[in-house]
Parts: sequence; structure tokens; C-alpha cells
Amino acid sequence: MSEPARSGSTSALVIGLALLTLVAAAASLIIGRDGGGPTFGFGGPALAETIVREIRLPRTLLALLVGGTLGLCGAALQGLLRNPLAEPGLLGASSGAAFGAVLVFYFGFAGASSLLLPAGAVGGSLLALAALYALAGRRGDFLTIVLAGIAINALAAALTSLALNFAPSPYAALEILFWMLGSLADRSLAHVYLAVPLMVPGWLLVAAAARGLDALTLGEDTAFSLGFDPKRTQALVIGGTALAVGGAVAVTGVVGFVGLVVPHLLRRSVGQHPSRLLLPSFLGGALLTTLADVAIRLLPPGPELKLGVVTALLGAPFFLHLVMRNPERAA
Amino acid sequence: MPSSIRLTSRAPAPFVIAALAAASVAAATAAAEPLPRVASINLCADQHLLALADPEQILTVSWLAADPEESLMASEARHYTLNYGTVEELLKFAPDVVLAGTYTAPFTRTLLRRLGYRVVELEPEASVADIERNVRLVAEIVGQAARGEQLVAKLREDVRAIEAHRPAQTLAAVIVRPGGFTVGAGSLANELLTLAGFTNVVAERGLDRWGSLSMEALLRSAPDVIVLTGYRSTQPSLANAVLEHPALKGLDATRRTVTVHTALWACGVPRSIEAAALLQRAANP
Repeated sequence: MSEPARSGSTSALVIGLALLTLVAAAASLIIGRDGGGPTFGFGGPALAETIVREIRLPRTLLALLVGGTLGLCGAALQGLLRNPLAEPGLLGASSGAAFGAVLVFYFGFAGASSLLLPAGAVGGSLLALAALYALAGRRGDFLTIVLAGIAINALAAALTSLALNFAPSPYAALEILFWMLGSLADRSLAHVYLAVPLMVPGWLLVAAAARGLDALTLGEDTAFSLGFDPKRTQALVIGGTALAVGGAVAVTGVVGFVGLVVPHLLRRSVGQHPSRLLLPSFLGGALLTTLADVAIRLLPPGPELKLGVVTALLGAPFFLHLVMRNPERAA
Repeated sequence: MPSSIRLTSRAPAPFVIAALAAASVAAATAAAEPLPRVASINLCADQHLLALADPEQILTVSWLAADPEESLMASEARHYTLNYGTVEELLKFAPDVVLAGTYTAPFTRTLLRRLGYRVVELEPEASVADIERNVRLVAEIVGQAARGEQLVAKLREDVRAIEAHRPAQTLAAVIVRPGGFTVGAGSLANELLTLAGFTNVVAERGLDRWGSLSMEALLRSAPDVIVLTGYRSTQPSLANAVLEHPALKGLDATRRTVTVHTALWACGVPRSIEAAALLQRAANP
């Protein structure tokens, strides 16, 4: 983001993605859903303004912001760990955030829209990423990072479940669905205002690490000799991801796989420079998440599917494909 | 038209006064607020609403209300538009009140309030007193207080009938739900069990609300009766599979089971008392 796209193909990609994202956002504003399945248009003149401004606009904005965050942070983490399987969801950043939010929310520290809730999410996310980095980041090898990430992810999910079981509200355990399978349904502009002040600084921190990430592809020592302190790059990416993903999870719950799939699909077009992948991944994440959320509304009548279910349905086979293909490539 | 005017003008004075009085009563009724029109997005609220409101007051109920496995009023619910509890589908009804549950759909409730709708949350019913409270609350919301009082009076009558038919000897019961779960104190099922004259073994042992029940715990609790609930009627074999576990062979209670339809006590409605009657009939065959 801080670096201008050097090659013509990257700027063409960015422009193309931006246009597609706009189209997807427009579709998200036009397509709704009621008991009979998808609805098109704005639901009559009397309701149009309310429906668009108070229901579909917040939902669309959050899809763009959360998707962009996940794409961007996925690309940055993959660059930092030099590992194509890195992703906020798989590495435990998202489930750590969910755990932090659950602790704050269900134990009476905060109402659903208090600022403490995202603070808890950011704290949990930071803790998970810091633990991952302390355990496995330095060694940087492919398997250790993914295994440590899986362990931290499982631990955070188990702690969330434990916390919900002990929550004072007898029905809190039901809400594990919300925290573990994210959704954008019925969010309001208040949620947008809650998340943006965390996401934007998070993005900026990650963007500030762009050149450092490029240098890191040459190895830590070379990066250092080029004038990029790897520690600073790590702090920027981890801090930025924790802020942005924490803000996202606090309002939508965990939406998985976007940060994995998007940078991977786009890497082919922009080459191996992590810095050039950041902006396209941001746009690609926004596009994919918005499309997934529109697809939910197009399904036949029935209770609304959770966004996290759709992204997992799309992402899990892709992840398997990567795992099957990667051993020889990573070696 | 002139003839009708003459008719009225020729009417005897008392009749005119009576007609005027009637007209003013009618005018007062018409001038009074029309009865509120209500949307419900919670299964338990749906059933209270269907029982208490006039049909024209009910705008929409949740889709679960029309599922006979979950709802006691499935056939009534089918006459109305069903919703899946999202704000967008509620807006077109412009409801005066939206009924929701305390613990469900937090985002939907917040957004509805933000849009200026009146949202009333019903606490889940964990006792007969809670049923009375929610019946009165919904009756008041829909402007049918008299109907609510009738239901409460009938419920109290039913409770007295249950109390009068308690089995001579208190039987120990345990509730078995799918997935190895049971129900303890602080729940409607526990209160109905106690009301029917049983003791809930797991509640006696200090289990609060919902908990898991292992095969071993079921054996050690040594119940006289096993109450099966939560199984869908389309999968009865699953309930029997639990009881066919070899470890339970020596347990007489496996031959003394009562199945209580989940819908009967998943939500606390006046008809939930039928669960207690069912238990009593099983205790005194």
C-alpha cells in the first residue's frame, strides 16, 4: 500500500479488483432476503431508505472492511512467516480475538457495543499471535508454524467454549455459534464505527511493514544489512494484524479462510514481493467476503447461513489442496 | 333517505338516549388505540402470541413455530407469514411491537431498537410462575388482559389437579436427553417433575439446569423411572439405543420409561402442564 505498484500488471490487477469489488458492493446493497428467500430491490419506497441505510449499508461496509482486513493481514502474515499457509484464522489470531471478546462480554465487563469489547478482542488476538511467534516464528520452518498455529487455535477455541460454559447467562453457550462462525446479519452502523478505529490503524501498521517484508524474503541477516530491522517488521505486522483482526472479530465473529485463499490466488499475478501483494489482497478479501455474503442471501428459503460457514466451505478444500501440493514446493 | 330521518326523529325519547349512549360508547372504542399488531421472532413468544392475540394482531411468527417437533401451535402458526428472525423481513410488517427472547438474536434486537421499534424480551420460563408472568406480559402487550387472566386461572386449576393426583409413593426419576444430557434444578422440566410428585435424582445431587449424564452416572443414580425427551419423533430408535446399552441391563427403570414430547416443555406455556399429567399417568398405570 505504501509502495506504488511498479509493474503495469499489478496496477491493472488492482483496478480490476477495485471495479469488481464495487460491483459486488452494489449487489450487496440491492439484494436482500426475507422468509421467502432472496429479494431484489429496496422493498418499496417507504422502507427503501431504512433498509438501505440501516441494514444493507452497514452489512456491505462490514463485508468490505472485514474482508479487506483478512486479505491484507493474510498476505502480511504469509510474508512475515515466509509461509503460504499463514492466515489469521489458522494461526489463532481470530479465535484468540473471539476468546478475548467473550471474556469481556459474558463476564459483565461490557455491553455489546462498548469499546471494551473490541479491546478484549485485540488483546486476545495479540496474545495468540505473540505466543505463536515466540513458539515457532523464529525457526520459521513450515511445519512448526502451522502446527503451533493449529494448537493455539484449538486452545483458544476450547477456552472460548469453556468461558461460555461458565458464563453467568444460561444461554451463553448457544452463542458459541456466533463467535466461532462469523456473520454479518443485522449489524448496524454502530458496529462499523466500533471496528473502523481499530482496523484503519491496523492496516497502516501492516502497510508500514511492506518494504521490510520484501527485505525479509532475502533472509533476516540480509534484511538487517539492507537497513530493515526484522524485529520492527515483525512488531508492525503482528501489532497491525492484532488491531485489525481484533476489531473485525469483535463485530462479526470468526470468518475463516479469506486470508488464506486470497493472497494465494493473487500471488501468481504479482510475483513474490510481499509488498505488492498487500493492496490486491485487501481488495480481493473485500471482494470475496462481499460475494460470499451476497451468496448467503441468494440461497433458497430457510434460516440464514453463517458467513463463516460459507467461507469455510470455499476455503477448506482450497487449504487441503495447498497442503497436498506444498511439501515439494516448500522444500 | 328522508324517511329514515323521519323515523329517527320520531323515535321515542328513551330510545334516542339509548342510541346516543351506544353511539358514544362505540365512538369511544373507535377513538381508543387500535390493538397493537405484533411480530415475534422467538419460538416461546410465538406460542404465547398465538394463544393470546386476535388473528389480525399477529403479523408474523418465527419459522420454528410451524414445526410440530418444536412447537405446540404448529397448525395455528401455519396461517401466518413465517420469519427467520432478520430485521429486513420484519420491517415490511411495520409491527407495533416485536417479541424476542432475552438470550437470542442480540444483534437483531439492537438494530430493531435503533430503528425505533418497540422490542419486548421474554425471559425463558423456568417455572410455572414464569409461565404466568409471560402469559400476563404478552396479554398486556397485545391488549388482551382478560384472555391472559383466563389462561392463568386455567393453569392454576390444572396445577391443583396435578397436586391432587400425586402418586402415593415418591418415585425417583432422571431425564435423559439426546447426546447424554440431562436436566437439573432451575428448569421447567424439573419443576413439572416435582409437581407431578417425582424427585429428580440429578437435581437432588446438586445439578443446576442442564448438564451431561454419563452412562455411569445414570446407573449410579438408580432411578425408578427414566423420562426420555428431546428426541425427535422421526428418530425413536436413537432413544431406545441409549436404553439398550448393556450396562443398563440390570436397571429396572429401563422398562419403566415415559417419553415427553420436547415441544411440551421446551417453552413454558400453559399447556406445558400436560407434561406433568403425562408423568403421573405413567407412574400410576
